[in-house]
Amino acid sequence: MSERMKSIVFAFILCLVCGTLLTAASTRLQPMQERNAQVDRKKNILKSVSLVKSDRSYDGAEIDRLYEDNIFQYYVDQDGAIVEPAVAGNGEQSSLMTIYLVMDENDQIRSYIIPVESRGLWGKIYGYLALQDDGSTIEGFTVYKHSETPGLGGEIENQWFQENFVGKRIVDHNNEFVSVSIAKGSASDKVPDKNLPNYVDGISGATLTGQYLSSGLRETLKEYEPVSLKFRQNALQCRMQEEKPWCEQ
Amino acid sequence: MKIKNNTLKIFLRPVWSDNPINIQMLGICSALAVTVQLKTAFVMALSMTFVLSCSSFIISLLRKQIPKNIRIIVELSIISTFVILTDEFLRAYMFDVSKQLSVFVGLIITNCIVMGRAEAFALSNPPHLALVDGVGNGIGYGSVLIIVAFIRELFGSGKLFGFQVVPDYLYSIGYEDAGFMLLAPAAFIIIGLMIWFQKYLSRDKELKR
Repeated sequence: MSERMKSIVFAFILCLVCGTLLTAASTRLQPMQERNAQVDRKKNILKSVSLVKSDRSYDGAEIDRLYEDNIFQYYVDQDGAIVEPAVAGNGEQSSLMTIYLVMDENDQIRSYIIPVESRGLWGKIYGYLALQDDGSTIEGFTVYKHSETPGLGGEIENQWFQENFVGKRIVDHNNEFVSVSIAKGSASDKVPDKNLPNYVDGISGATLTGQYLSSGLRETLKEYEPVSLKFRQNALQCRMQEEKPWCEQ
Repeated sequence: MKIKNNTLKIFLRPVWSDNPINIQMLGICSALAVTVQLKTAFVMALSMTFVLSCSSFIISLLRKQIPKNIRIIVELSIISTFVILTDEFLRAYMFDVSKQLSVFVGLIITNCIVMGRAEAFALSNPPHLALVDGVGNGIGYGSVLIIVAFIRELFGSGKLFGFQVVPDYLYSIGYEDAGFMLLAPAAFIIIGLMIWFQKYLSRDKELKR
């Protein structure tokens, strides 16, 4: 066999062996990997409303139970009205938006969680933003999937960055929608005091990730603005009437 | 007896006198990135040792068959197969750790240590020695990682393997974790000090000789 022929045959056999090995491993392990990803997603939803603690680990069954007990998935249309699950089907209609409601013991809505899908520097950023029932205060923010540079933009998945969002507001002092943005550097240095509730500290070395995430958050929040508006009006009526039944959806 | 000594020498050389990180300055990038916590450093060390020893062994087994003109790409395919297998297993069984290691398991492929050992050792030595050399290099790399991670986790977050070891009363009298330890430059400085320390020790030995 000529030298060249030998190389080709060797390369072919090598490809075949490696390919078979990888395919086998990938198909065998896929169910477990998908299950892990799903648990991780649920865990992030729970984390955004502080239903799981970051300093201990949970197994899959625990996460499932917490999720079943507290989180209710609904679909809303573009006007912010909840679509009955039967009508919504599996949410395949593209005009419907997913929303997760968190109920307290008295079956009142405690907060609502919207899925965030934003552009990032290297790929998409997926996460959840939880808002309180006043429709304007952020209860939590989590990121469960991204491809930003570890140590720079990758810091968005870390607790110190996500904790910055807690208590920030998506409306200005006139109750007008402004979204929440990531400042370039420390928010208290760069932003006038009256805008501080709408800004979180940025990550040094990750200005672009911050910019993309800011605009991603703004777009998502804008889409969900009809829902937030309903919550805000509801909260206002509650305050004026001082009557609890009004607060029910 | 002589062969045994030789095997031992091959095993010990990369652990100390020819350490891939401290002496050869290879694999520094991942050593900075995954050493914030002991757990990730430990998993990375294990993955690296696994990939290094398996690929060295296989490449050495095939060393007489591998056509010289395509040997680099053959080495790469074998290495990357093992890396992807490791990555898949981590994602199935240790999801949290694989999330923290993010791209760095995948980057074992480009870690110079693996390619370097394949080219410099496995291609010209029998499989059992190549395996020993792979394990030795893995341990040499891993031990540096674990030492750096030990220092960083202990002083950076007061924990070891995620368990708090700095007692609460120390915090109450004003002790604070050094946030700097969690940043990449800290690892750089620690590795620098380790290199200095090791060079200092071996210089002593050489002078005696």
